[in-house]
Amino acid sequence: MNLNTSILKYIEDVKSGSFTVEEFTAATLQRIKDIDGDIHAYLSLNDSAINDAKLIDQKISSGEKIGQCYGFPISIKDNICITGTKTTCASKMLENFVAPYTATVVNRLHAEDAVITGKTNLDEFAMGLTTEFSAFGPTKNPWNLDYVPGGSSGGSAASVAANECLASLGSDTGGSVRNPASFCSVVGLKPTYGLISRYGLISYANSIEQIGPMTKTVKDSAFLLNIIAGQDANDDTTIDSNNQNYLENIEDGIEGKKIGIIKEMTTSDGLSSEVSTATKDTIHDFESLGASCEEISLPTIPYTIAAYYTITSTEAGSNLARYDNIRYGYELESEGYEYNSYISKSRTKFGPEVTRRIILGGFVPSAGHAGKYFLKSLKVKSKLISEVNNAFKKFDYMISPTAPVQPFKFGEKIDDPVTLMLLDYNTVTANLTGKPAISVPYRVVNGLPIGMQIMANSLKEKSLLQAAYALESKTTLPEVPL
Amino acid sequence: MVDEDEIIRVAELMKINLDDHGEHVSRVKKMLEYFDILDQIDLSSEEITSQEKSLTELRKDEFIPNDKKLIESLKNFREHYVRAPKMN
Repeated sequence: MNLNTSILKYIEDVKSGSFTVEEFTAATLQRIKDIDGDIHAYLSLNDSAINDAKLIDQKISSGEKIGQCYGFPISIKDNICITGTKTTCASKMLENFVAPYTATVVNRLHAEDAVITGKTNLDEFAMGLTTEFSAFGPTKNPWNLDYVPGGSSGGSAASVAANECLASLGSDTGGSVRNPASFCSVVGLKPTYGLISRYGLISYANSIEQIGPMTKTVKDSAFLLNIIAGQDANDDTTIDSNNQNYLENIEDGIEGKKIGIIKEMTTSDGLSSEVSTATKDTIHDFESLGASCEEISLPTIPYTIAAYYTITSTEAGSNLARYDNIRYGYELESEGYEYNSYISKSRTKFGPEVTRRIILGGFVPSAGHAGKYFLKSLKVKSKLISEVNNAFKKFDYMISPTAPVQPFKFGEKIDDPVTLMLLDYNTVTANLTGKPAISVPYRVVNGLPIGMQIMANSLKEKSLLQAAYALESKTTLPEVPL
Repeated sequence: MVDEDEIIRVAELMKINLDDHGEHVSRVKKMLEYFDILDQIDLSSEEITSQEKSLTELRKDEFIPNDKKLIESLKNFREHYVRAPKMN
């Protein structure tokens, strides 16, 4: 059975009786069993996946109403809650945490008869860009096991790329969907802030993070967005999607559209020559599709990494305070503790990156330092929003490579915190401004993928997906060598 | 320039035990030094903006019942209460 298929092709095949949901689910689970020992995309598997698939087959054979997903297998990043299952955030702190409720996005997938395969690996609490900060060991890049898969949704991206599911849900705070999508050659969409409910997503930086689909094709991302987007009473930051059908007219093309090439992201010192060449070729491709491309400078971009890390660390410092070893956290024996050492003791369960963010998150908004860091960062955010809004008065899209470099070897950058931070250079702008952005697999050079990022104005996902589809149609990519 | 002692002081206030995490002070310092780039941008005419929602747009603040057996899964649950660690 060919597991390297899209959601839409899978649905066609199930409808035509080429295979049953149970057969496809079983083949997917076998694939996971065969290769996930090497990839380590999953932290836990859904024990009832086969039963769930059987129930959907029964619905199909009895002519009962069937959800749009027809039982396609999807993995979920392990910072998104599903009732009764472990949600670890790849942290020792939540090693045994069983979620008491289900995230809205997962409820919507269940309602449309998707089959959850399991929970995927991430950098601890979604803080990182390589999955090397997972407390349970890193995920390997399916294109080359010596290389990082990107992060923080590295397990999600690898599970899709390695055909261990047809799609995944990740979360994107500064590029955590798009960066691993680029590194693993899958499509990754960070929607407009508020388009997808965060209810059931374990909080890291509430003001900018979003859940996003990771798929093999652009059309599959549009299909998933149709299912999971829209207002949710349990998340007051959600906005109305106006019941848009993101798949409709996706093939309309981009003739006559105006595209801004973001100067600061395409000429930065950190850009590798391979990524730079791919970017130039992308521009030619867009022009051949009938769009006009022009360079645009957004002068605030060089300050965005500092602003992003300041804002997110501050929010993380607050959000992580709940792991106090009483309501959440691992449970110590009920012996006597002095209060301060009790909290400190529980916090030793946080890994190195999370610990650093807690210290930073205490430092940058503190009395005496807030003016220099936190308040200034909020102003950088405001300035950036004005700049980007102005740019979108002229352009339909703005593009850049998703990441300035291709995947790199494990351990190569982990000891340099500034180099690691700068990997987010091209992606944080969409988060700080709340704009939608997508990473489209563009090329594989020396056996390693390169993704291109397209950003659009708020709630322009439909138009964004049309551009992504147009670019995807210009690419021919090899199959993952697994 | 950030003083390492200041970072250590904040880490202690954040209840981070530096016996276990001492090596992070220098890395946090490097990150904070990078943040000095914020001194180079002119923000004199910028205001901090935020999105607001009126109270009427929020969902009702009402109790939503959950599975009452949840508490029983806690390791230190004892019949009708949760035993918390003793504090000195």
